[in-house]
Amino acid sequence: MQASELLDTYYVDANTWDEMYSDAGVREQYQGIVSFMQQLTVEELNKKEELARSLFMSQGITFTVYNSGEGIEKIFPFDIIPRIITASEWGFIEKGIAQRLKVLNLFLKDIYSDRFILKDGIVPVDIIYSCPHFLREMYNFPVPHDIYVHIAGIDLIRNNDGSFYILEDNLRTPSGVSYMLENREITKRIFPDLLPRNNVRMVTDYPNILHKNLVSLSPRQNRNPTIVLLTPGSYNSAYFEHTTLARLMGVELVEGSDLVVDRHRVYMKTTSGLQQVDVIYRRVDDEFLDPLIFNPKSVLGVAGIMSAYRKGNVAIVNAVGNGVADDKAIYTHVPAMIRYYLNEEPLLKNVPTYQLGNREEQEYVFKNMDKMVIKKTNESGGYGMLMGHTATAEEIIAYQNEIVKYPRQFIAQPIISLSSSPCYMNGRLHPRRIDLRPYALYGPEGIQIVPGGLTRVALREGSLVVNSSQGGGSKDTWVLAG
Amino acid sequence: MLSRVADNLYWMSRYMERADGILRMLKINYASSQDDQQEFSWKPVLRIFSYLKEEEARAFEDYSRVVLPYMVINKENPNSVVNIVTQARENARGVQDHITKELWQCLNDFYHTIRDEHLIRLLEREDPVSILDVLIKKGILYYGTIDLTMARGEGYSFINIGKFLERSLQSVDILDVKFSDVNYDFARTHTTYWRYLLLSISGYELYLKTYRSGFDARNVVELIVLNEDFPRSVIYSIYQLQRYFQRLRSEQNQDAYRTIDFMIGKIRSKIQYSTVENIVDQGLHSYLKGVREELYHVAVALDQHYFAYS
Repeated sequence: MQASELLDTYYVDANTWDEMYSDAGVREQYQGIVSFMQQLTVEELNKKEELARSLFMSQGITFTVYNSGEGIEKIFPFDIIPRIITASEWGFIEKGIAQRLKVLNLFLKDIYSDRFILKDGIVPVDIIYSCPHFLREMYNFPVPHDIYVHIAGIDLIRNNDGSFYILEDNLRTPSGVSYMLENREITKRIFPDLLPRNNVRMVTDYPNILHKNLVSLSPRQNRNPTIVLLTPGSYNSAYFEHTTLARLMGVELVEGSDLVVDRHRVYMKTTSGLQQVDVIYRRVDDEFLDPLIFNPKSVLGVAGIMSAYRKGNVAIVNAVGNGVADDKAIYTHVPAMIRYYLNEEPLLKNVPTYQLGNREEQEYVFKNMDKMVIKKTNESGGYGMLMGHTATAEEIIAYQNEIVKYPRQFIAQPIISLSSSPCYMNGRLHPRRIDLRPYALYGPEGIQIVPGGLTRVALREGSLVVNSSQGGGSKDTWVLAG
Repeated sequence: MLSRVADNLYWMSRYMERADGILRMLKINYASSQDDQQEFSWKPVLRIFSYLKEEEARAFEDYSRVVLPYMVINKENPNSVVNIVTQARENARGVQDHITKELWQCLNDFYHTIRDEHLIRLLEREDPVSILDVLIKKGILYYGTIDLTMARGEGYSFINIGKFLERSLQSVDILDVKFSDVNYDFARTHTTYWRYLLLSISGYELYLKTYRSGFDARNVVELIVLNEDFPRSVIYSIYQLQRYFQRLRSEQNQDAYRTIDFMIGKIRSKIQYSTVENIVDQGLHSYLKGVREELYHVAVALDQHYFAYS
């Protein structure tokens, strides 16, 4: 069978924006890859899929699933067909994310110092103080360069009219950037020459920009500061990413037990004694960072690290306490923050969100449960979600009871139809729903967004949940030069 | 360098050296099993490389098709090649930013090859030498990748310290167990026994070139303990161990350095100034046991002074 036939059998779900097809046929940005695929047979495409799989396997780009005591290596599912973003779409996304990140950072600065936004009544006080990620330990502590969010992964989705919406803000330890980098390396191997021929912008600068930003945060005026990446360890599902980033930046990968604090300075234990650490890019959550201040049972962090941080002897990236700005209950108020801090209209839209603490909104949501998705405010990774259109009556009742008890812990959003993109599965093209996570870096010189990102795919038919823990996969993401 | 990283590199290297030793031993022992039945047994291999009790080992020491899967792919056996390679890879996984990408991929490929489910059939039914050869070549690739890609820094020193410490211990063990199996009988002249012993540590060809007068137990001891040109001899391994350890000398760690340098120097002199005659005079077993204990003390001291981080 020729691959051209397989394009003929592709279909688009009703009421959905498809990235490749419009009513007028294949969109211009997809012409290149479509005409390339038309020259291939299904066997050749299958071989490419197999090559991608074996490359992931032999490079150890895997995560380990522990089952009956034995580790099983799995690869994060990868779809060979890239997701393509045009220059003008990207220009808009870039501006929108930079605007949002700037404001969220101003918000953190404000909330941990003067709290003007609360005094002016723009954001209700109770949702801040009831947020478990709001940390009093950060109050009145001037972080270097006033930057809290050095690395942001803000998730976007595309509604059926083709416009982009913000799904959620990830301002703590957003992950997945290694897949942006590795997926691109795989594409270079399975589709030779296709990237330059399509004028795709490169993503390889990411580690260099991040490294430059980390160097600039060093509290010691030292030409060669010691920068470390703090990982929870090799059992963490993102461990591959931690090693990749450490290698690409040439920084030391450390675990909590490699560090020690003495007189408010952080040191790492080396074969030739203790060496002072200047900048920590941590991939350990706030809660586990310092057993003296937060969770006393944590062995992933370092005792005393918060005191060294507050003394200004070490920089921590991202800053501690950022969770108050990416909480799902705060999300609703971000458009108001943009108007408040910048006097600008938000470029990227929010998905309408209902606060279940508000009686009228709660009533409205309960009446329209089949059109709603209910999310827990303090969970991520696709856990604790209820999709109203597929849930059983019992599940709905159970959720409603919980909501009545703890309204602050839930929000509701109308189910937004995610855009679809063709995926190559079992010798055919199928439309599958996708989102987009670009990675924004905020350094002393401003915000930079590498042209690309992670496109996550809901691999199950009809599914709208793209999280890898819920059966999601990913695609290479191409941003075309103008 | 982080103490944990040094520790991981050292153990990655020790495990890989052990895997190589086991695979070579298995290959030659299997060849021997197809040859002279009088002289053949799996007992020494099981004694050196497994934790089986004597009666457990006796139950299958005559059956190659049981011993091979047990030593190569049995996950219950802590010293099976699959478990050792998994340990090496786990150690490497924790220091991926300190080894080259090529080295990581090489270990990772080895790991996936040995976990392949087809292996069991090959080992139980078909020619096991072909599969052992595939695995031995993966090991050779590992050594070559280190040589070609790794920077000659502290990490490289720890890799070599692990490698040569493990190798010297292995050579001591093989010699001791093989001789104890024949009750340290130096008058024994049976050619096959010594030939397979030499083959199993890749010393057969060198032996033929060095000694023209046939097989003699004293010459075997001399080659394996004292021959400075034989890369698996005890003395060669200890020279290398000392050479790479001395590269760790630095301003910061002087006390630890001096302690361990002294220990290694002592073993080196002990062996360097031995002859076969005085080894046999004081008893081969007690001589080898003494060397083994001192090497063990070096390993403990390295752990204390260089790897302690918890």
